[in-house]
Amino acid sequence: MSSPVFWKKAAVVLAALGLALLLLGPGPGWAETLEVVQPNQSLYPDPDFAGSPMGAVPQGSRVQVVRQAGDWYKVNYQGMEGWLHRQAFPAPKAQPSGLKGLLFGAPAKETTTDEAALAGKGFTPEIESGYRQKHPEVNFAQVDKVETFKVNPAKLEAFIKEGGLNP
Amino acid sequence: MRNRLKWWALLVAALFLVQGCVAASVVSVGAIAAKGVTKASEASRPINDSEEYYVGRAVGARILGKYPLSQNAKLTDYVNEVGQTVGRKSSRPQTFRGYHFAVLDTQEINAFACPGGTIFITRGLVQTCTTEDQLAAVLAHEVGHVANKDGINSISQARWSQVLTSMGTEAVKQYGGVGGSLVSLFEGSIDDVFKTIVVNGYSRPAEEAADKAAVTTLTRAGYDPRALTQVLDKMMAKEKGAAGGMFKTHPPTSERLAKLKAEASEAPPAKDEAVRTKRFKAMSG
Repeated sequence: MSSPVFWKKAAVVLAALGLALLLLGPGPGWAETLEVVQPNQSLYPDPDFAGSPMGAVPQGSRVQVVRQAGDWYKVNYQGMEGWLHRQAFPAPKAQPSGLKGLLFGAPAKETTTDEAALAGKGFTPEIESGYRQKHPEVNFAQVDKVETFKVNPAKLEAFIKEGGLNP
Repeated sequence: MRNRLKWWALLVAALFLVQGCVAASVVSVGAIAAKGVTKASEASRPINDSEEYYVGRAVGARILGKYPLSQNAKLTDYVNEVGQTVGRKSSRPQTFRGYHFAVLDTQEINAFACPGGTIFITRGLVQTCTTEDQLAAVLAHEVGHVANKDGINSISQARWSQVLTSMGTEAVKQYGGVGGSLVSLFEGSIDDVFKTIVVNGYSRPAEEAADKAAVTTLTRAGYDPRALTQVLDKMMAKEKGAAGGMFKTHPPTSERLAKLKAEASEAPPAKDEAVRTKRFKAMSG
């Protein structure tokens, strides 16, 4: 049989490992790759929209997540590190409870998440289509036209510069 | 020897433990994001950015059933340039499909912010402004309503509860088809938002919060934040005694103006206003 000294040592090693995990937290080596699914996303130097964007991250780009703080993700995109707002990424799906649930006690939270995910499926193009059938007088063609009103980034930059405004 | 074997076994077990925790922490990125969504839902309504966008589209379509779109492409381009300049400096520079600005061809003096970022300004209100900074102030105020989700928040809580109930019983099972009750709830939600932004107007706290947001946005963008009080003063003078239009949906009470003046007075003076006013006159004249 194993000696009590051995198990005592083993317990110390495991406790030390657990403590190290708690203290270190997820490091850069643990990064996950996420796809940017929304257009018009920019990388920010800080997790705050008030700063000047460092550059655009086109829809479909893949970024390495370094860490997460509130609604912001610190990411690495083509060697450049900056912050992307969570809206750049797909809406989260409800996680089935399993090991994660056992480790983090997640199920209670997931009930609310399920509700949010369901609400996310509530008003969709299908529902809009149903609404349009009921209301042919409502002018969606004009809304489609308004959604084409965009400003070319280079033109906007020149406009801002000419007006002595802040970039 | 036996002890050494035990140590190896323990080390392997510990490695598995570490690996398991790493995997769990990576998986939890999604879970953390989910937590963010829940928080946002608690702050306003359980609605996400894409749903907000579809509500906004329908509200915009209703507004465009009431007012024709201006055919002045140059003015529309210019309003979009000014609008994008303030939108990117707001507390919500990005929305699901971005900000879009359009001019409504009416002499009425008003502006509307559809949920999700489509913003309308009437020709009458553009002509009430005399500088680009004033136009920017109106647009920044409307962007403030989008950022603060004031339109979406006007959907009644009771209706949202029904949406969630309906999702649980009907649409989840037959998702892919059109849930009849969800279409009715969508219709009701559009009515709620339309009534607020076009007929009754926002609450006074919502107006004051949008003013405050506009002052911050204008200052960040390099516009003069005092331009908002200037345009509200003009609006009061033009619409004195009028019961409709912007006077009704964005009432500039003296208390509101006083608060706004106090907030804007702290901002540094804006530069190059003459250059901007010149291009405004060229566009709106």
